[in-house]
Amino acid sequence: MSAPLDPETPGIQAGEAPGTQVGADHASQGAGAPAGGAAEWRRLDPRTLLVHCGWLAAPLGSLALTALATGGRIPAKAWFTLAALAASFAVVTTIGLIRWARTEFRIAPGSRGDGSEGGAAGSGRGSAALTFDVRSGLLTRRLRSVPLHRIRTVDLTASPLHRLLGVTVLRAGTAGSGDGSKELSLEALAVPEAERLRAELLAYADAEAATNDPVVARINWRWLRYAPLTFWVIGGVFVVAGSAYRVLDGIGIEPWKLGFVQQAFTELGAGALWLTVPAVLLAVLALGSVGAVVLYVENWWNYCLEWTDARTLRVRRGLFTTRAVTLERARLRGVLLREPLLLRAGGGAMVRAVAGGLGNREENRKRSGLLPPAPRTEALRVAGGTLRAPFPGSGAPVALAPHPRVALRRRRVRGLLFAVLPGTAVLAGLGAAFTPVLLHCAWIYAVLTTALVWWLARDAYRNLGHGVDGPYLVARSGTFSRDTLALQREAIAAWTFTTSPFTRRAGLVALTAAVAAGEDGYRIPDLAATEAAGFAAAAAPGILEEFLVHPGEPGQHLPEQRSS
Amino acid sequence: MPEHATALLRPPRHRVDPRARRWWTLQALLTLSGPMLLLALTMAVLSLLFFPGALPWLGPLLLVVLVVPAVSYLVVMPRWRYAVHAWELGERAVYAAGGWFWQKRRIAPLSRVQTVDTVRGPLQRRYGLATVTVTTASTAGDIKIAGLSDADAEELSRRIGEAAQDVPGDAA
Repeated sequence: MSAPLDPETPGIQAGEAPGTQVGADHASQGAGAPAGGAAEWRRLDPRTLLVHCGWLAAPLGSLALTALATGGRIPAKAWFTLAALAASFAVVTTIGLIRWARTEFRIAPGSRGDGSEGGAAGSGRGSAALTFDVRSGLLTRRLRSVPLHRIRTVDLTASPLHRLLGVTVLRAGTAGSGDGSKELSLEALAVPEAERLRAELLAYADAEAATNDPVVARINWRWLRYAPLTFWVIGGVFVVAGSAYRVLDGIGIEPWKLGFVQQAFTELGAGALWLTVPAVLLAVLALGSVGAVVLYVENWWNYCLEWTDARTLRVRRGLFTTRAVTLERARLRGVLLREPLLLRAGGGAMVRAVAGGLGNREENRKRSGLLPPAPRTEALRVAGGTLRAPFPGSGAPVALAPHPRVALRRRRVRGLLFAVLPGTAVLAGLGAAFTPVLLHCAWIYAVLTTALVWWLARDAYRNLGHGVDGPYLVARSGTFSRDTLALQREAIAAWTFTTSPFTRRAGLVALTAAVAAGEDGYRIPDLAATEAAGFAAAAAPGILEEFLVHPGEPGQHLPEQRSS
Repeated sequence: MPEHATALLRPPRHRVDPRARRWWTLQALLTLSGPMLLLALTMAVLSLLFFPGALPWLGPLLLVVLVVPAVSYLVVMPRWRYAVHAWELGERAVYAAGGWFWQKRRIAPLSRVQTVDTVRGPLQRRYGLATVTVTTASTAGDIKIAGLSDADAEELSRRIGEAAQDVPGDAA
């Protein structure tokens, strides 16, 4: 922020100072605050005011660039811009200040009719129930109050600007509040404060009720922000281009023969490559994002996941093609939480059902989707609602057993062999044969990909984990898509131990659980060979006990002693 | 279950029929090694007839790329396979080991067994061998025991059928 340019700056600083002691003095000065005992009205974070100034960055930046370009002399026109900026800054800051000063929230025991709507909503719930109250507005005061046991989701969202200032937006939603208008939102809170509030809100949320709601999830269009984080950001380009081509082809136009298309191509080739290549990449990304969003909307329009009765889970979705998939509870064998790399970086996840009778592998992939890319907390909640039990790791994180360290080395070696080595060898070979420029490309490629491989290998290794959580086998693996599987232990139909000379030397084994559902086989890679059989026996008793040997005990068959 | 903490999976008790080695050798000859050797021979002969000058570099190349891999596959694979392949019918589960480079050990409980198929291919018939496939509801749970002698296969499929009836289960 280039705030010093402006006369209003002292106001901000004055507003920021009490931010550290937001507690008592503000709580008492809120207009007509009831004596809430422990339930004091709390304020938003003063840094919110700075967030509202975020829009200033672009004009001020361009002004600074102008000043830089003209050598420090600011032209007369720019002064007008500056004045306009200052005026709008004053207005925005005032509005922000009022909003900040008049928005308060608290967690209070019941509602005592101190607000028009809140009193009505709260009084029916009994006095013991805690409510989450938010009041706001300068002239029209508005109090919204939600009983804590009704709150199903608490979502923390931070834009880059929020993150820079260390604040985040908190949204609390109830079971049916998919469209967002019924949500309570607080913009913005300091991150630790928001985390604390989330814990407070969810501590009272009735976990039992959350898993017994007939409606598990509805579409929330705020999730659209996750659409560009999917594969479709690239695939979307092909989809858009493909459908455009098909339409043109259908009406008898061959796009490659159009004059302006050819002209565009020749101009692109003639232009400065360092400019056109990033521009084209940017255009592809933008087009891909649009494609991804369009596909998201088409696929998940009107999405609703609900238990139609005690034994049937139904997914409805789709704009032009409507899809409805019904899953029988007896055939629902588990849930898969998928977090592809990009989506994971954005804090999102998808949920898939592991269910039998959904058709062959491809049909299963199409039909098993239970939740589109959505915030991770939402995904965990939906996974829990599908299992009708908290998804492992959503409450207290289930301690997944890590895999042997040699698995990390294997991942590194694999990356070096399949990513670094071939590219470097080809570049170096070509470089030696033709031009030394390629030799430089070769070593740069080698250094960059090695760093990338190291990072990905570490991530892949950290993601590896397995364990048993109540009636579920839990296994997590993958870096390009981190998949967390919760599989009913009693559904496991067979065990497979797979080894290669490399894994045998490293003392590892891959364990595959066969189930008559989903992908049929779910693989847990790179377990310690000494632990795999014990884990399999513990996870699904009654399958392989009779084939186990305990090396410590005497009188066992050694592997060599077998009759032929 | 703490007693499983250091448990190891032992190999299945029974090896497959020794004639399986010859079957696998013949299979290798027909599918991979034979064509590779034939290709090497053809190229060597053609080169000898028309481009004798190419032999000094083509010969070693053929040797390394075609002849050596083909022969080593022919020699190594059946022995290795024979050392690995094994089966066992336990009280509650079927257990089979297979593969050679990539090895697989699979255990399926008898309560999940759906069908038992015995297949004799034309090559297998020549050596009096059979393959028994035990299917479950999951394709990742199907157990295949290749290279059993006819008598063993018959006995095994009969016993699995009986055992599967004795062990209660819904096979789902």
